[in-house]
Amino acid sequence: MILQINFKSGMPIYLQLVDQIKTAAASGALRPGEALPSIRPLAEELRVNRNTVAKAYSELESLGVIETLPGRGCFLKENHSALRKEVRRKLLIEEIDQAIVQAHHLQVPRHEFLQLIHERMDVLDDKRRANEDHKKEV
Amino acid sequence: MSSPTPAIQVENLSYAYGRAEAIHDLSLAVQPGRCYGLFGRNGAGKTTTMKCLLNLLRPQRGQVRVFGLDPAKQEVAVKRLLSYVPDQVAFYPWMSVRETLDYLASFRPYWNRKTEQELLGHFGLDPAQRTGSLSKGQRTQVALIAAVCPETDLLVLDEPTSGLDPIVRREFIETVIGAYQEGIPGKRTILVSTHLITEFEGLIDEFTIIDHGQAVLTLDSDHARERYRKIRARFAQSPPELDLKAALRVRRDGRELELIANGAGDELLERLRQHNPEALSTESLTLEEIFVATLKS
Repeated sequence: MILQINFKSGMPIYLQLVDQIKTAAASGALRPGEALPSIRPLAEELRVNRNTVAKAYSELESLGVIETLPGRGCFLKENHSALRKEVRRKLLIEEIDQAIVQAHHLQVPRHEFLQLIHERMDVLDDKRRANEDHKKEV
Repeated sequence: MSSPTPAIQVENLSYAYGRAEAIHDLSLAVQPGRCYGLFGRNGAGKTTTMKCLLNLLRPQRGQVRVFGLDPAKQEVAVKRLLSYVPDQVAFYPWMSVRETLDYLASFRPYWNRKTEQELLGHFGLDPAQRTGSLSKGQRTQVALIAAVCPETDLLVLDEPTSGLDPIVRREFIETVIGAYQEGIPGKRTILVSTHLITEFEGLIDEFTIIDHGQAVLTLDSDHARERYRKIRARFAQSPPELDLKAALRVRRDGRELELIANGAGDELLERLRQHNPEALSTESLTLEEIFVATLKS
């Protein structure tokens, strides 16, 4: 799991860390039971205040995403399936929102935009099926 | 509930060198455990402020307090609580690195030998080398070791990285984060003055921009990045006449507009959106961009 900070995002730094770790957990970049980086080396590497990393970790702990084992560090909790779904939806919503804004700027009306989504889903489905058939033949 | 005694309290401080006023009615407070940035151009009054905290200068008006103590009256007690890396590091040139550190340690009630060894090794410093033959970067590294090892509650850094190469600057900041902040959270306070803001960006919790000896802006860093935004818009034809008084700065180039917003970002975005721009984007300003925008407006 590689974390990075973007000072231009306007989001508080500790929340960027919280979001990225949640995303890593949802995408499988961080697996249940795996250790999170220790606070000191992570703070040094990102060159952020240690209190900021500590704040992110304690936020994740209170959300039930990670747990601290005394003397051993922080680990991703085994059970966070509810979170996974919520995070996945949130990630997708961000992408959809961007596409909607872009559609607005390009003056693509709502019905045309929705129609495009259906079209694209069909195109990608076809591609996926073609790929599978190809594999079968090989 | 009473708030804890600030690590640093500056109240209505004024100081003049002869008739040249360096600091005028400056006030700021640094809470324990925070990393506080003092940003200003050369000659803005950063060093004068720090010298008043260290009792190298006496305030002519107003007062300064370090953990509630007056540096002019309780100099020894204050000096026990803080360590300092000046912008110009000077040692006795005939002493070796080892002798210099021992000499500096002799003034301290506590000195972490293990940290000292780790940092000497990390920086690749030769303890037998005379300080007179060290490079500027190496002298700063020795000064940093001497500032970290006593494990004081307050670390004062005056333009610590100016004139150093990028690798030394990076290691300097990593050491402040790694070795100095190792202690109990809330017991390690940092005051850093700099005009090289970018490299300290992630470390600084709160800052004051000073100009001509006066505080121009004091903000929490996260809050500042939320408030200050750059908005770019591109229109199909030349941009419409808009009321953009809420913007700190406006740049126009053909069909494009670039605004710097201070707090009124959403309102400005909405106003631009009403004119159907072809493209519209927004991003936060970094602390350095906020510094420039504040002093240029």
